[in-house]
Amino acid sequence: MVLSLKVYLNIKNNYLLKIKSINYHQTLIKLINMKKILLLSLIALGTLTVKAATIGTSSRLTMVADTGDTPLTISGSVDAYYKYDFAKSSQIGTSFASDHNSFSIGMVDIALKKTTGKTSFVGEVSFGPRGQQQSLLPGAAGDSYHIQNLYVNFAATDALTFTMGYMGTFIGYEVISPVGNFNYSTSYMFTNGPFQNAGLKATYAFSSKASLMVGVFNDGWNVYTSGGRIDNLGAQLFVSPVDGWNAYLNVITGNSAGTEFDLTTSYQITDAFKLGLNAADYTAPKYIGKGGFSGVALYPQLAVSSSVTLGLRGEYFKAKATDFGYSAIAAGTSVKALTATANIKSGNLTIIPEFRLDSGSANSWMNKSGMPTKKASQALLAVVYAF
Amino acid sequence: MFAKAASKGWLLFYIYNMKKIVLAVICLFFKVATASAQADSLVLDENNKYIYYQVVAQPASSADSLQARAIVFAKKAFTANKLKFKDSDKGTIRATGGVLVAKKSSVAMHEDARIDYTMTIEVKDNRYRYWFTDFVIVPYARDRYANFVPVSGKNVPLEKGLATLSKKDFDGYTAKLLANLKDIGNRLKTYMKTPVAPVKKEVKKTIIPATNW
Repeated sequence: MVLSLKVYLNIKNNYLLKIKSINYHQTLIKLINMKKILLLSLIALGTLTVKAATIGTSSRLTMVADTGDTPLTISGSVDAYYKYDFAKSSQIGTSFASDHNSFSIGMVDIALKKTTGKTSFVGEVSFGPRGQQQSLLPGAAGDSYHIQNLYVNFAATDALTFTMGYMGTFIGYEVISPVGNFNYSTSYMFTNGPFQNAGLKATYAFSSKASLMVGVFNDGWNVYTSGGRIDNLGAQLFVSPVDGWNAYLNVITGNSAGTEFDLTTSYQITDAFKLGLNAADYTAPKYIGKGGFSGVALYPQLAVSSSVTLGLRGEYFKAKATDFGYSAIAAGTSVKALTATANIKSGNLTIIPEFRLDSGSANSWMNKSGMPTKKASQALLAVVYAF
Repeated sequence: MFAKAASKGWLLFYIYNMKKIVLAVICLFFKVATASAQADSLVLDENNKYIYYQVVAQPASSADSLQARAIVFAKKAFTANKLKFKDSDKGTIRATGGVLVAKKSSVAMHEDARIDYTMTIEVKDNRYRYWFTDFVIVPYARDRYANFVPVSGKNVPLEKGLATLSKKDFDGYTAKLLANLKDIGNRLKTYMKTPVAPVKKEVKKTIIPATNW
């Protein structure tokens, strides 16, 4: 800039000295015009130089490292459905989509999250049948607190994280949120396993491919407060052998709630094809008698376009030959359930048409004439809007 | 008459030089303006890969000092998920990172995806250059704990982003990405102007025994 000004002043002085001896009017006009162009150019250059100098002064700024803090984020979903059971009354023991021949609501679900340095919290509330009596047990006064997740995280190191509060269970393939499931109706293993566990857990990540979680949890599943004991122990081993393949080996055990072993895995084999697997074995606690179940389910899914995915769920579920059964499956009997589902996405909206056929080893349901039958079927159309 | 002719000659000579100065100034102006426009773009390179590229002049700085400053930047300027030092050799520093992005259509802002990238810094005496490339979209989905986490096995190169995203969402992603890259570039400039304390070499003291020698 200084150099530019010197050049300008030098030119200007020479110009003033010499102009007196020049009588060529035309030349004078040319010179004046040229002076204007030069002046404008210098101003423009000066502006850029000043801008560059402003960037240059950034060396005086304090070098503050990025902390990773995030603003408060809000996410959630709204879902509704219509279901028709071909027995003309609800027969299949699915947790959600329970109403026959009815336009019914699922829930409005809102989750808040914020991370500040090494700590973060999640608070998720839900209103509606799916988010209240169908997935949450009432509090002591009979109220629903509407809480699906309420916990705080503390990252002690990059690898070790502690979490305390009321959390969605780590057991099983399916979840309560309709956004997290491909099928709208639920499997027998999901319906009869835990939904939430309140407790304190520690997760250690050996790498991005393997981690181990261990925790202590309240004596009961799906309850906000313990019955006076904290006697459930839980553990989860996560491994990802190859990119796209995740596997979780889970166990929760306690005198009050029984013991469940669970394997949940999914593998995105190609860009279009994904295969999921869930297997579980549950033994009820001794104080309520002999009981339990075991089951396995396969979840193949094929994306036929960027907005349409077709999927099946094939489940085998067996109530152990003991004192009682589960979801209308009597002790010692079993069911094979086949569910065909499509997910049609348009922006934030997912449209879910679904057909389900359950076939039991015994007369587990009623037909439309009110007679016992080994088969039950239903069709539904659900809409899920996620935000 | 002679004096008049001499004056005219001098004037012509003067105008000729002045033209050169004006031309040089205008050229300089347009060069700076053009360079400035290029620096703001995410462009496709000769291999049809998106790249964000900048060259920065920093007079009176040796390549060694710029290298040391760039390594400090890559290791300390950001959290590991945004930028993580990978490796370096003489004149070149490499890092990896990612930025969380959200769809424009989202009612609420939460993570919809992460765009991973590699960053390369090359230093020479009095200047350095850096570029970001290898952009990969990692889609995020909600998990059972109401967190948005990466979906394994569904990564898409940014160049193929329009095959899985709407134009509106793709534009939203790339706008956020570009803002993030500029932020990293600005912070790099700060670090590159800040001297790094030389590593103190520990001098081993030789103890000469007073007796028993």
